[in-house]
Amino acid sequence: MWTGDKMITNPNAYDLIVAILNAIGVYNIILGFFQDLGMEYILRVIIVLVIIAVLLVFVLLTVMFLSWLERKMFAVVQSRYGPMVTGPRGLFQPIADGIKLLGKEDIIPAKADRWIFTLAPFVVFVSVLLVFIPLPFGRSLIVSDLKVGLLYIIAISAVTPISILLAGWASNNKYSLMGAIRAVAQDISYTIPLAITAIAVVVFVGSLSTVDIVNAQSGYWFGFIPKWFIFLQPLGFILFLIACIAEMGRIPFDFQESEQELVAGFFTEYSGMKFAMFFLAEYAHLFAVSGIIVTIFLGGWTGPALPFIPFELTSLIYFMIKTYAVIFFAMWLRDTVPRVRIDQLLNLGWKIMIPLALLNLLLAAFVVTAGVI
Amino acid sequence: MDIVFLVLSIFTIISSIMVVGSKQLVHSAVYLAGALMGTAGLFLLLKAEFVAWAQVLVYVGAVVTLILFTIMLTRKGEEENGE
Repeated sequence: MWTGDKMITNPNAYDLIVAILNAIGVYNIILGFFQDLGMEYILRVIIVLVIIAVLLVFVLLTVMFLSWLERKMFAVVQSRYGPMVTGPRGLFQPIADGIKLLGKEDIIPAKADRWIFTLAPFVVFVSVLLVFIPLPFGRSLIVSDLKVGLLYIIAISAVTPISILLAGWASNNKYSLMGAIRAVAQDISYTIPLAITAIAVVVFVGSLSTVDIVNAQSGYWFGFIPKWFIFLQPLGFILFLIACIAEMGRIPFDFQESEQELVAGFFTEYSGMKFAMFFLAEYAHLFAVSGIIVTIFLGGWTGPALPFIPFELTSLIYFMIKTYAVIFFAMWLRDTVPRVRIDQLLNLGWKIMIPLALLNLLLAAFVVTAGVI
Repeated sequence: MDIVFLVLSIFTIISSIMVVGSKQLVHSAVYLAGALMGTAGLFLLLKAEFVAWAQVLVYVGAVVTLILFTIMLTRKGEEENGE
Protein backbone atom coordinates (compact mmCIF):
# COMPACT_ATOMS: atom_id res chain seq x y z
CA MET A 1 0.00 0.00 0.00
CA TRP A 2 2.81 2.42 0.87
CA THR A 3 3.93 4.16 -2.29
CA GLY A 4 5.86 7.01 -0.73
CA ASP A 5 9.19 5.56 -1.84
CA LYS A 6 8.32 5.41 -5.52
CA MET A 7 10.85 6.75 -7.95
CA ILE A 8 8.46 8.53 -10.33
CA THR A 9 8.11 12.15 -9.26
CA ASN A 10 5.11 14.24 -10.19
CA PRO A 11 5.84 17.36 -12.28
CA ASN A 12 6.23 20.58 -10.30
CA ALA A 13 6.49 24.27 -11.15
CA TYR A 14 10.21 23.94 -11.97
CA ASP A 15 9.47 21.33 -14.65
CA LEU A 16 6.64 23.52 -15.92
CA ILE A 17 8.93 26.54 -16.37
CA VAL A 18 11.52 24.38 -18.15
CA ALA A 19 8.77 22.95 -20.38
CA ILE A 20 7.46 26.44 -21.23
CA LEU A 21 10.98 27.68 -22.02
CA ASN A 22 11.50 24.60 -24.19
CA ALA A 23 8.22 25.25 -25.98
CA ILE A 24 9.31 28.79 -26.81
CA GLY A 25 12.67 27.33 -27.81
CA VAL A 26 14.92 29.45 -25.62
CA TYR A 27 15.77 26.95 -22.84
CA ASN A 28 18.73 25.42 -24.65
CA ILE A 29 20.11 28.88 -25.52
CA ILE A 30 19.94 30.01 -21.89
CA LEU A 31 21.30 26.69 -20.64
CA GLY A 32 24.16 26.87 -23.16
CA PHE A 33 24.98 30.40 -22.00
CA PHE A 34 25.26 29.29 -18.37
CA GLN A 35 27.13 26.11 -19.34
CA ASP A 36 29.74 28.24 -21.13
CA LEU A 37 30.26 30.08 -17.87
CA GLY A 38 30.42 26.73 -16.08
CA MET A 39 27.68 27.78 -13.68
CA GLU A 40 24.64 25.63 -14.49
CA TYR A 41 23.42 25.81 -10.91
CA ILE A 42 22.88 29.57 -11.24
CA LEU A 43 20.11 28.88 -13.76
CA ARG A 44 18.48 26.49 -11.29
CA VAL A 45 18.73 29.09 -8.54
CA ILE A 46 17.21 31.78 -10.79
CA ILE A 47 14.26 29.54 -11.75
CA VAL A 48 13.64 28.65 -8.08
CA LEU A 49 13.79 32.35 -7.12
CA VAL A 50 11.26 33.17 -9.84
CA ILE A 51 8.93 30.48 -8.48
CA ILE A 52 9.28 31.83 -4.94
CA ALA A 53 8.63 35.41 -6.11
CA VAL A 54 5.52 34.37 -8.04
CA LEU A 55 4.22 32.42 -5.05
CA LEU A 56 4.86 35.33 -2.67
CA VAL A 57 3.16 37.88 -4.92
CA PHE A 58 0.23 35.54 -5.50
CA VAL A 59 -0.24 34.90 -1.77
CA LEU A 60 0.07 38.59 -0.85
CA LEU A 61 -2.44 39.64 -3.54
CA THR A 62 -4.85 36.95 -2.35
CA VAL A 63 -4.40 38.11 1.24
CA MET A 64 -5.21 41.70 0.27
CA PHE A 65 -8.26 40.58 -1.64
CA LEU A 66 -9.39 38.38 1.27
CA SER A 67 -9.17 41.22 3.78
CA TRP A 68 -11.36 43.32 1.46
CA LEU A 69 -13.78 40.40 0.96
CA GLU A 70 -14.07 39.80 4.68
CA ARG A 71 -14.99 43.42 5.44
CA LYS A 72 -17.36 43.56 2.51
CA MET A 73 -19.16 40.37 3.51
CA PHE A 74 -19.39 41.45 7.13
CA ALA A 75 -20.93 44.70 5.90
CA VAL A 76 -23.45 42.95 3.66
CA VAL A 77 -24.54 40.68 6.51
CA GLN A 78 -25.06 43.75 8.72
CA SER A 79 -26.86 45.71 5.94
CA ARG A 80 -24.01 48.19 5.50
CA TYR A 81 -21.94 49.13 2.47
CA GLY A 82 -18.48 48.48 3.92
CA PRO A 83 -15.42 50.14 2.37
CA MET A 84 -16.59 52.22 -0.61
CA VAL A 85 -14.27 55.22 -0.99
CA THR A 86 -10.89 53.95 -2.27
CA GLY A 87 -11.20 52.46 -5.72
CA PRO A 88 -14.20 50.71 -7.30
CA ARG A 89 -16.40 49.35 -4.47
CA GLY A 90 -13.50 50.06 -2.08
CA LEU A 91 -11.28 47.45 -3.73
CA PHE A 92 -8.08 49.40 -3.01
CA GLN A 93 -8.84 49.66 0.72
CA PRO A 94 -6.22 46.96 1.63
CA ILE A 95 -3.51 49.02 -0.13
CA ALA A 96 -4.50 52.12 1.83
CA ASP A 97 -4.48 50.05 5.04
CA GLY A 98 -1.05 48.67 4.19
CA ILE A 99 0.39 52.15 3.58
CA LYS A 100 -1.14 53.35 6.84
CA LEU A 101 0.37 50.44 8.79
CA LEU A 102 3.79 50.91 7.16
CA GLY A 103 3.81 54.58 8.11
CA LYS A 104 2.90 53.98 11.73
CA GLU A 105 5.39 54.22 14.56
CA ASP A 106 6.84 50.87 15.55
CA ILE A 107 6.39 50.78 19.32
CA ILE A 108 8.20 48.26 21.52
CA PRO A 109 6.96 48.36 25.15
CA ALA A 110 9.67 49.37 27.65
CA LYS A 111 9.46 46.14 29.66
CA ALA A 112 9.15 43.89 26.61
CA ASP A 113 11.74 41.33 25.62
CA ARG A 114 13.05 43.15 22.52
CA TRP A 115 14.50 40.20 20.60
CA ILE A 116 11.63 37.80 21.05
CA PHE A 117 9.10 40.62 20.57
CA THR A 118 10.65 41.37 17.16
CA LEU A 119 11.22 37.75 16.18
CA ALA A 120 7.73 36.38 16.89
CA PRO A 121 5.67 38.09 14.11
CA PHE A 122 8.20 37.04 11.47
CA VAL A 123 8.17 33.42 12.66
CA VAL A 124 4.36 33.43 12.48
CA PHE A 125 4.39 34.83 8.94
CA VAL A 126 7.16 32.58 7.63
CA SER A 127 5.64 29.42 9.11
CA VAL A 128 2.36 30.23 7.38
CA LEU A 129 4.12 30.91 4.06
CA LEU A 130 6.01 27.60 4.30
CA VAL A 131 2.69 25.73 4.25
CA PHE A 132 2.21 26.80 0.61
CA ILE A 133 5.24 24.81 -0.60
CA PRO A 134 3.57 21.39 -0.98
CA LEU A 135 0.15 22.85 -1.86
CA PRO A 136 -0.91 21.91 -5.42
CA PHE A 137 -2.58 24.95 -7.01
CA GLY A 138 -3.09 23.07 -10.26
CA ARG A 139 -1.56 20.29 -12.34
CA SER A 140 2.23 20.79 -12.01
CA LEU A 141 1.56 24.14 -10.30
CA ILE A 142 3.27 23.10 -7.07
CA VAL A 143 6.51 24.46 -5.68
CA SER A 144 7.78 21.09 -4.52
CA ASP A 145 5.96 17.78 -4.41
CA LEU A 146 7.34 16.49 -1.11
CA LYS A 147 7.00 12.77 -0.54
CA VAL A 148 5.73 13.53 2.95
CA GLY A 149 3.73 16.64 2.05
CA LEU A 150 0.84 16.15 4.46
CA LEU A 151 3.15 15.41 7.39
CA TYR A 152 5.14 18.51 6.44
CA ILE A 153 2.00 20.67 6.50
CA ILE A 154 0.97 19.34 9.92
CA ALA A 155 4.54 19.72 11.26
CA ILE A 156 4.87 23.32 10.08
CA SER A 157 1.44 24.19 11.49
CA ALA A 158 2.63 22.81 14.81
CA VAL A 159 5.41 25.43 14.95
CA THR A 160 2.98 28.38 14.91
CA PRO A 161 1.83 27.99 18.56
CA ILE A 162 5.42 28.55 19.76
CA SER A 163 5.65 31.91 18.04
CA ILE A 164 2.22 32.92 19.32
CA LEU A 165 3.24 31.97 22.84
CA LEU A 166 6.48 33.94 22.45
CA ALA A 167 4.62 36.98 21.11
CA GLY A 168 2.25 36.92 24.05
CA TRP A 169 5.00 36.42 26.60
CA ALA A 170 7.41 38.99 25.18
CA SER A 171 4.79 41.75 25.24
CA ASN A 172 4.85 41.62 29.05
CA ASN A 173 1.13 42.29 29.23
CA LYS A 174 -1.37 40.11 31.06
CA TYR A 175 -3.93 40.26 28.24
CA SER A 176 -1.31 39.24 25.69
CA LEU A 177 -0.22 36.32 27.85
CA MET A 178 -3.80 35.21 28.47
CA GLY A 179 -4.55 35.40 24.76
CA ALA A 180 -1.43 33.45 23.89
CA ILE A 181 -2.12 30.73 26.46
CA ARG A 182 -5.68 30.37 25.21
CA ALA A 183 -4.56 30.30 21.59
CA VAL A 184 -2.02 27.58 22.27
CA ALA A 185 -4.34 25.49 24.45
CA GLN A 186 -6.83 25.60 21.59
CA ASP A 187 -4.20 24.94 18.95
CA ILE A 188 -2.69 21.87 20.57
CA SER A 189 -6.05 20.32 21.43
CA TYR A 190 -7.37 20.73 17.88
CA THR A 191 -4.19 19.62 16.10
CA ILE A 192 -4.87 16.06 17.31
CA PRO A 193 -8.27 15.52 15.57
CA LEU A 194 -6.85 17.43 12.58
CA ALA A 195 -3.94 15.03 12.21
CA ILE A 196 -6.05 11.91 12.86
CA THR A 197 -8.64 12.81 10.21
CA ALA A 198 -5.82 13.57 7.76
CA ILE A 199 -4.35 10.12 8.50
CA ALA A 200 -7.72 8.53 7.61
CA VAL A 201 -7.36 10.01 4.12
CA VAL A 202 -3.76 8.83 3.90
CA VAL A 203 -4.99 5.30 4.68
CA PHE A 204 -7.11 5.44 1.51
CA VAL A 205 -4.42 6.97 -0.72
CA GLY A 206 -1.39 5.13 0.62
CA SER A 207 0.82 8.17 0.14
CA LEU A 208 1.52 11.39 2.04
CA SER A 209 2.24 13.37 -1.13
CA THR A 210 -0.41 16.03 -1.78
CA VAL A 211 -0.26 15.43 -5.54
CA ASP A 212 -0.93 11.73 -5.04
CA ILE A 213 -3.88 12.60 -2.81
CA VAL A 214 -5.32 14.82 -5.56
CA ASN A 215 -4.66 12.23 -8.26
CA ALA A 216 -6.47 9.61 -6.19
CA GLN A 217 -9.59 11.82 -6.32
CA SER A 218 -9.77 12.12 -10.11
CA GLY A 219 -12.49 10.14 -11.85
CA TYR A 220 -16.14 9.46 -11.09
CA TRP A 221 -18.26 6.88 -9.31
CA PHE A 222 -21.23 5.62 -11.37
CA GLY A 223 -20.20 8.14 -14.00
CA PHE A 224 -21.35 11.30 -12.23
CA ILE A 225 -20.30 11.46 -8.54
CA PRO A 226 -16.72 12.80 -8.40
CA LYS A 227 -14.37 10.61 -6.38
CA TRP A 228 -13.77 13.24 -3.72
CA PHE A 229 -12.96 12.11 -0.20
CA ILE A 230 -15.82 14.22 1.16
CA PHE A 231 -18.23 11.55 -0.15
CA LEU A 232 -16.08 8.74 1.21
CA GLN A 233 -15.52 10.39 4.58
CA PRO A 234 -18.29 12.88 5.42
CA LEU A 235 -17.55 12.57 9.16
CA GLY A 236 -13.86 13.14 8.55
CA PHE A 237 -14.61 16.22 6.46
CA ILE A 238 -16.80 17.80 9.15
CA LEU A 239 -14.22 17.09 11.86
CA PHE A 240 -11.40 18.45 9.70
CA LEU A 241 -13.37 21.61 8.89
CA ILE A 242 -14.17 22.30 12.56
CA ALA A 243 -10.59 21.58 13.61
CA CYS A 244 -9.26 23.88 10.87
CA ILE A 245 -11.53 26.77 11.89
CA ALA A 246 -10.44 26.27 15.50
CA GLU A 247 -6.78 26.21 14.43
CA MET A 248 -7.21 29.46 12.54
CA GLY A 249 -8.91 31.01 15.58
CA ARG A 250 -11.88 32.30 13.63
CA ILE A 251 -15.15 33.23 15.14
CA PRO A 252 -16.93 30.43 16.80
CA PHE A 253 -13.53 29.67 18.35
CA ASP A 254 -11.70 33.02 18.42
CA PHE A 255 -10.54 32.95 22.04
CA GLN A 256 -7.10 34.25 21.27
CA GLU A 257 -8.48 37.68 20.45
CA SER A 258 -11.96 37.76 21.99
CA GLU A 259 -12.34 41.52 22.08
CA GLN A 260 -14.78 41.68 24.96
CA GLU A 261 -12.49 39.85 27.38
CA LEU A 262 -8.92 40.39 26.19
CA VAL A 263 -8.08 43.64 24.42
CA ALA A 264 -6.84 42.04 21.23
CA GLY A 265 -5.26 38.82 22.46
CA PHE A 266 -1.61 38.07 21.90
CA PHE A 267 -0.96 41.02 19.57
CA THR A 268 -2.34 43.72 21.86
CA GLU A 269 1.05 45.46 22.14
CA TYR A 270 1.98 45.19 18.48
CA SER A 271 1.75 48.13 16.10
CA GLY A 272 2.93 49.20 12.67
CA MET A 273 4.75 46.66 10.52
CA LYS A 274 4.75 43.91 13.13
CA PHE A 275 0.98 44.15 13.48
CA ALA A 276 0.74 44.00 9.69
CA MET A 277 2.75 40.75 9.83
CA PHE A 278 0.18 39.15 12.15
CA PHE A 279 -2.62 40.48 9.98
CA LEU A 280 -1.06 39.08 6.78
CA ALA A 281 -0.33 35.78 8.51
CA GLU A 282 -3.97 35.49 9.60
CA TYR A 283 -5.37 35.80 6.09
CA ALA A 284 -2.55 33.77 4.51
CA HIS A 285 -3.40 31.07 7.04
CA LEU A 286 -7.06 31.22 6.02
CA PHE A 287 -6.06 30.80 2.38
CA ALA A 288 -3.59 27.99 3.15
CA VAL A 289 -6.03 26.05 5.32
CA SER A 290 -8.82 26.38 2.75
CA GLY A 291 -6.40 25.12 0.12
CA ILE A 292 -5.52 22.13 2.32
CA ILE A 293 -9.22 21.32 2.88
CA VAL A 294 -9.78 21.47 -0.89
CA THR A 295 -6.73 19.32 -1.57
CA ILE A 296 -7.61 16.63 0.92
CA PHE A 297 -11.40 16.43 0.73
CA LEU A 298 -12.74 18.38 -2.25
CA GLY A 299 -10.69 16.89 -5.05
CA GLY A 300 -8.02 19.58 -5.29
CA TRP A 301 -7.60 20.75 -8.88
CA THR A 302 -9.49 17.87 -10.49
CA GLY A 303 -12.31 18.74 -12.84
CA PRO A 304 -13.43 18.29 -16.44
CA ALA A 305 -10.83 19.39 -18.99
CA LEU A 306 -11.92 22.11 -21.41
CA PRO A 307 -10.88 22.05 -25.09
CA PHE A 308 -8.19 24.48 -26.38
CA ILE A 309 -7.23 25.65 -22.87
CA PRO A 310 -4.16 24.06 -21.22
CA PHE A 311 -5.22 21.97 -18.25
CA GLU A 312 -2.66 23.76 -16.07
CA LEU A 313 -4.85 26.87 -16.34
CA THR A 314 -8.26 25.18 -15.94
CA SER A 315 -7.00 23.19 -12.95
CA LEU A 316 -5.85 26.43 -11.30
CA ILE A 317 -9.31 27.91 -11.86
CA TYR A 318 -11.03 24.81 -10.40
CA PHE A 319 -8.73 24.97 -7.39
CA MET A 320 -9.40 28.67 -6.81
CA ILE A 321 -13.19 28.23 -7.15
CA LYS A 322 -13.21 25.46 -4.56
CA THR A 323 -10.85 27.35 -2.25
CA TYR A 324 -12.96 30.50 -2.39
CA ALA A 325 -16.05 28.40 -1.61
CA VAL A 326 -14.37 27.18 1.59
CA ILE A 327 -13.17 30.71 2.42
CA PHE A 328 -16.70 32.01 1.82
CA PHE A 329 -18.03 29.41 4.26
CA ALA A 330 -15.49 30.42 6.93
CA MET A 331 -16.33 34.12 6.52
CA TRP A 332 -20.07 33.43 6.51
CA LEU A 333 -19.63 31.51 9.77
CA ARG A 334 -17.71 34.43 11.24
CA ASP A 335 -20.46 36.89 10.38
CA THR A 336 -23.40 34.91 11.68
CA VAL A 337 -22.36 32.72 14.62
CA PRO A 338 -21.61 33.80 18.22
CA ARG A 339 -18.55 32.69 20.16
CA VAL A 340 -18.68 29.49 22.25
CA ARG A 341 -17.34 29.37 25.84
CA ILE A 342 -13.76 28.28 26.52
CA ASP A 343 -14.80 25.21 28.55
CA GLN A 344 -17.24 24.21 25.80
CA LEU A 345 -14.42 24.57 23.29
CA LEU A 346 -12.04 22.30 25.19
CA ASN A 347 -14.81 19.78 25.98
CA LEU A 348 -15.74 19.67 22.31
CA GLY A 349 -12.12 19.13 21.33
CA TRP A 350 -11.12 16.46 23.79
CA LYS A 351 -14.38 14.63 24.58
CA ILE A 352 -16.16 14.65 21.23
CA MET A 353 -13.83 15.38 18.33
CA ILE A 354 -10.89 13.12 19.25
CA PRO A 355 -13.08 10.00 19.86
CA LEU A 356 -15.02 10.69 16.66
CA ALA A 357 -11.77 11.18 14.73
CA LEU A 358 -10.47 7.86 16.05
CA LEU A 359 -13.76 6.19 15.08
CA ASN A 360 -13.42 7.70 11.62
CA LEU A 361 -9.88 6.35 11.32
CA LEU A 362 -11.10 2.91 12.43
CA LEU A 363 -13.87 2.94 9.82
CA ALA A 364 -11.43 4.00 7.12
CA ALA A 365 -9.06 1.20 8.10
CA PHE A 366 -11.91 -1.35 8.00
CA VAL A 367 -13.08 -0.16 4.59
CA VAL A 368 -9.57 -0.30 3.14
CA THR A 369 -8.73 -3.69 4.71
CA ALA A 370 -12.02 -5.19 3.54
CA GLY A 371 -11.17 -3.98 0.05
CA VAL A 372 -14.49 -2.16 -0.50
CA ILE A 373 -12.77 0.77 -2.22
CA MET B 1 26.30 20.05 0.50
CA ASP B 2 29.35 20.32 2.76
CA ILE B 3 28.76 24.02 3.32
CA VAL B 4 25.12 23.43 4.23
CA PHE B 5 26.15 20.66 6.61
CA LEU B 6 28.73 22.95 8.22
CA VAL B 7 26.28 25.84 8.65
CA LEU B 8 23.58 23.57 10.10
CA SER B 9 26.03 21.88 12.46
CA ILE B 10 27.43 25.16 13.75
CA PHE B 11 23.91 26.52 14.17
CA THR B 12 22.83 23.41 16.07
CA ILE B 13 25.91 23.39 18.32
CA ILE B 14 25.69 27.09 19.16
CA SER B 15 21.98 26.78 19.90
CA SER B 16 22.61 23.76 22.11
CA ILE B 17 25.27 25.64 24.06
CA MET B 18 22.97 28.64 24.42
CA VAL B 19 20.21 26.37 25.81
CA VAL B 20 22.30 25.81 28.95
CA GLY B 21 24.05 29.19 28.73
CA SER B 22 21.23 31.71 28.59
CA LYS B 23 19.92 33.24 31.80
CA GLN B 24 16.23 33.38 30.89
CA LEU B 25 14.27 30.14 30.77
CA VAL B 26 12.13 31.28 27.85
CA HIS B 27 15.25 32.12 25.83
CA SER B 28 16.57 28.63 26.60
CA ALA B 29 13.36 27.15 25.23
CA VAL B 30 13.70 29.21 22.03
CA TYR B 31 17.29 28.05 21.58
CA LEU B 32 16.13 24.48 22.19
CA ALA B 33 13.62 24.90 19.36
CA GLY B 34 16.48 26.20 17.19
CA ALA B 35 18.73 23.25 18.06
CA LEU B 36 15.96 20.76 17.26
CA MET B 37 15.23 22.54 13.97
CA GLY B 38 18.91 22.28 13.11
CA THR B 39 18.81 18.55 13.81
CA ALA B 40 15.77 18.25 11.53
CA GLY B 41 17.81 20.04 8.85
CA LEU B 42 20.61 17.50 9.29
CA PHE B 43 18.07 14.70 8.81
CA LEU B 44 16.93 16.43 5.62
CA LEU B 45 20.52 16.44 4.36
CA LEU B 46 20.56 12.66 4.89
CA LYS B 47 17.43 12.50 2.65
CA ALA B 48 15.37 11.25 5.60
CA GLU B 49 12.38 13.51 5.03
CA PHE B 50 9.96 11.56 7.18
CA VAL B 51 12.26 11.58 10.21
CA ALA B 52 13.00 15.27 9.72
CA TRP B 53 9.36 16.39 9.70
CA ALA B 54 8.45 13.94 12.46
CA GLN B 55 11.25 15.59 14.45
CA VAL B 56 9.74 19.04 13.78
CA LEU B 57 6.23 17.85 14.63
CA VAL B 58 7.08 15.97 17.82
CA TYR B 59 10.00 17.94 19.27
CA VAL B 60 9.54 21.53 18.07
CA GLY B 61 5.76 21.38 17.81
CA ALA B 62 4.90 19.43 20.93
CA VAL B 63 7.82 19.23 23.37
CA VAL B 64 9.00 22.85 23.15
CA THR B 65 5.41 24.11 23.26
CA LEU B 66 4.78 22.09 26.41
CA ILE B 67 8.03 23.35 27.96
CA LEU B 68 7.12 26.97 27.19
CA PHE B 69 3.61 26.42 28.46
CA THR B 70 4.91 25.03 31.74
CA ILE B 71 7.42 27.86 32.16
CA MET B 72 4.76 30.48 31.58
CA LEU B 73 2.21 28.93 33.89
CA THR B 74 4.63 28.43 36.77
CA ARG B 75 7.63 30.77 36.73
CA LYS B 76 6.16 34.11 35.65
CA GLY B 77 6.59 35.82 39.05
CA GLU B 78 10.29 34.98 39.42
CA GLU B 79 11.13 36.19 35.95
CA GLU B 80 9.55 39.57 36.60
CA ASN B 81 11.64 39.94 39.76
CA GLY B 82 14.76 38.94 37.89
CA GLU B 83 14.55 41.78 35.42
